[in-house]
Amino acid sequence: MSGKLLGGAASERENLRVTSTVKQVEPRQAEISFDFREKLDATLEGFRHNYCYQCGACVADCPAARYAPEYNPRLILLQALLGFEEELIGENSIIWLCTNCYNCYERCPQDVRPVEIIIALKNLSVERGTNPEEITKISDSVLKVGSTTFITPLVDRRRKELGLPSLKEIPVEELREILED
Amino acid sequence: MKYTPFWGCMISIKYPQFEASVRKTVDKLGIELVDVEGFTCCPDPIYYQAKDKIEWLTIAGRNIAVAEEVGHDVITCCSGCTSTLSEANHILKENTELREKVNQRLKKVGREFKGTIRVRHIVTAIRDDIGIDKVAETVTRPLKGLRVGIHYGCHLLKPSAIMQVDDPDHPAILADLVRATGAEPVEHKLRLLCCGKACMSDDIPDRMVIDLIESIEAEKADCMGLICPTCFDEFDLGQIVLNRKYQKGFQLPVIYYFQLLGLAQGLEPKELGLHFHKIKAGRVTEKVAAA
Ligand code: SF4
Ligand code: SF4
Ligand code: SF4
Ligand code: SF4
Repeated sequence: MSGKLLGGAASERENLRVTSTVKQVEPRQAEISFDFREKLDATLEGFRHNYCYQCGACVADCPAARYAPEYNPRLILLQALLGFEEELIGENSIIWLCTNCYNCYERCPQDVRPVEIIIALKNLSVERGTNPEEITKISDSVLKVGSTTFITPLVDRRRKELGLPSLKEIPVEELREILED
Repeated sequence: MKYTPFWGCMISIKYPQFEASVRKTVDKLGIELVDVEGFTCCPDPIYYQAKDKIEWLTIAGRNIAVAEEVGHDVITCCSGCTSTLSEANHILKENTELREKVNQRLKKVGREFKGTIRVRHIVTAIRDDIGIDKVAETVTRPLKGLRVGIHYGCHLLKPSAIMQVDDPDHPAILADLVRATGAEPVEHKLRLLCCGKACMSDDIPDRMVIDLIESIEAEKADCMGLICPTCFDEFDLGQIVLNRKYQKGFQLPVIYYFQLLGLAQGLEPKELGLHFHKIKAGRVTEKVAAA
């Protein structure tokens, strides 16, 4: 579907290369991937990237952009529109600098929900195994013990001192069962 | 008014003093907390959502289904849990296709998401169902002269279309609640800035937290006031880390809203677990005792 959006037969697509204006530091050859665009379209909330008209309203209040000049949600959307798979979900992608603050979600006049596109991209990065280690570490902990924080003997002592009931059992078996296909 | 509290892992495991401060203050507001068995991590809106949004929805849907079986609205005491459970509740109520997908998975364990309850941060429920006047009525020791630098955090308010708590550019909810304790809310320059917790960078979250603390210190606040254990972690433990890493001398006490309310209701700092904080709250307790 996204292939049709930009036109071009499959054989042409393979040869299609454009000079990217996206990487500000070092303009370089980037490859358009139509498969990637289709994959993003099929991801939860991912299709909305098609509504972006590049106005830049998402940039002004973006804390990641304020603190990291190389970060820019409009350019991330442009890369998504162009299907730049490597830039977006390769190793060390800039998407991981997003702070999940939702300011862009508030500002976008097209209801693109840029942060949701970034989350969809993160999901695709995890599928490819290019995500930062913390993501795997913390989600593994949820699957293993049912929480992101480990319980130490100190916890019950503190709870008792504060007059709190002891911790409830976390039904982690049940959590794993609902995730199995 | 009965609610089911969803404590979340950060509060119940790492910062039980916040659970204690809620439990010890809200009965005076006419709130009855009905605990239920069977919750897991919400799961967290940053890491787990980044891993797989459908799995994230499924786990959140299960937690909501567990609460639905008892029937009371859920209150959360952590902005992260609020973000996950409120958004999942919204999506699963609106999107029948996703609801069916999630319910197929929940069926295996005999559960179903029905969409029968609301999930809100406890401060929202208090403002809307109980009223801020009622909070003020429970105060026996007004925190007169205490200047509280407010940190809203991101996930109480945004996305506002889903959260529907307050205008995210001009929120008043926390300032109003702080005022009800007799303290003085301080609306510093960066009060709406995120702490950067989710940003995977060695220095950006540090710089954001430094700017935030300096923004509060510039207004000569006595402490920082907030409503989320993850924000707390970033600022309380965070100051210790930053002091070491960047040779800073930060000593700004960070207080959870219900600890402030507890002090205003006459509870002792120890009952509210203030002694567990890394940045000691002496500045605050001395001012309260003198008021
Ligand atoms: S995502 Fe929205 S705000 Fe950002 S450039 Fe595109 S249309 Fe504009
Ligand atoms: S959610 Fe991410 S992209 Fe959007 S404004 Fe915040 S930091 Fe920027
Ligand atoms: S949001 Fe954070 S504190 Fe709340 S349950 Fe999830 S991981 Fe635990
Ligand atoms: S300020 Fe930080 S911890 Fe608090 S809600 Fe925002 S991202 Fe989460």
